[in-house]
Amino acid sequence: MNKKGVILGVISIAIIGIIATSFSNSSDTVSLDARSHGTIDTTMGSPILGDPLAPITIVEFGDYQCHQCYNWYHNTKPAITTNYIETGKANLVFIDLAFLGRDSPKAAQATYCADDQGMYWEFHNSLYTSQESQIDNGWANTERLKAFAFGMGLDMELFESCLDSGKHSKRVQFNSSQAKEHGIRGTPGFFIINSDEQKQLSGAQPFSVFKEILDSMI
Amino acid sequence: MFVGLLILSEYIFLEPYIVSHLPSGSEFGFTLILSISALSALVIPMNIFRINILKSSKQKMGGGLFGSVIGAAAGACSCGPVGFAVISTFGSVGATATAFLTNYETPIRIISIVILVVTLFTTLKSLKIECKINS
Repeated sequence: MNKKGVILGVISIAIIGIIATSFSNSSDTVSLDARSHGTIDTTMGSPILGDPLAPITIVEFGDYQCHQCYNWYHNTKPAITTNYIETGKANLVFIDLAFLGRDSPKAAQATYCADDQGMYWEFHNSLYTSQESQIDNGWANTERLKAFAFGMGLDMELFESCLDSGKHSKRVQFNSSQAKEHGIRGTPGFFIINSDEQKQLSGAQPFSVFKEILDSMI
Repeated sequence: MFVGLLILSEYIFLEPYIVSHLPSGSEFGFTLILSISALSALVIPMNIFRINILKSSKQKMGGGLFGSVIGAAAGACSCGPVGFAVISTFGSVGATATAFLTNYETPIRIISIVILVVTLFTTLKSLKIECKINS
């Protein structure tokens, strides 16, 4: 009787432990609908910018502290947005390759904390608008990221708990692993994908290069 | 060297086809690369001539090479393939070194130009003396 009692006790403790663990993990994980473009798993990437049904998807791999990404964002992206994204010919997904400094992964996580409140692209834009030329000089540290969120009117309690808990750290790690698996060797890196093919582009190339590839794939 | 630096600094792309691109705001960086390349093109051959033909000391050649190398390294280690390879290979040490070279790219290139200019003048001076024809 005593033995049975001990065994039952151990089993119940184990069950309670398993349930408690699964509950505690579920608060830290992110559940998203599976999504892929070409061979790239974009489930953990940004929301789609533009028409989700557009025939072409541009997948950008970038780092928020990368100066070439800043160049691309300010020199090439506006023309792509006007000519292809706003016209429904293409859409864009951003995937983090946060490798340049200690503030890069945190900045990437912060965009997903903003995404939790439906403000991903606004936060993304504010980071590339506010980027400073020096890596890890504090412009993208935790305090500044919170200041950006405050400036955008996000719910600060939600944002801070999200950022401080590292809720999206695995999401950013997964995205970086996707980049490496697909042979991205620097930022910005791009894949331009339609139903038949996917083409890779490296670096902050001018609009003319994107135009030629996009036009050939439409 | 000029073309190499332009490729490393993403002013020239080789794929999908050869294209050059000067983004707004990076004109000063381009000018620095142009200056380093032009000075290196003067200093290094002059010193090779001094060493090979006149059998002079290699000290000035060292100065010229040093100026060229630090000038080139300053812009190479950013978010491009070189910086990515350095960070992937050396981890946080590589990231710190890359961040330093990126953050201080402009001052490093200016120092490199100063070294090359000093080397150029000292080389010219010594060539004038070494190449003087005794009458």
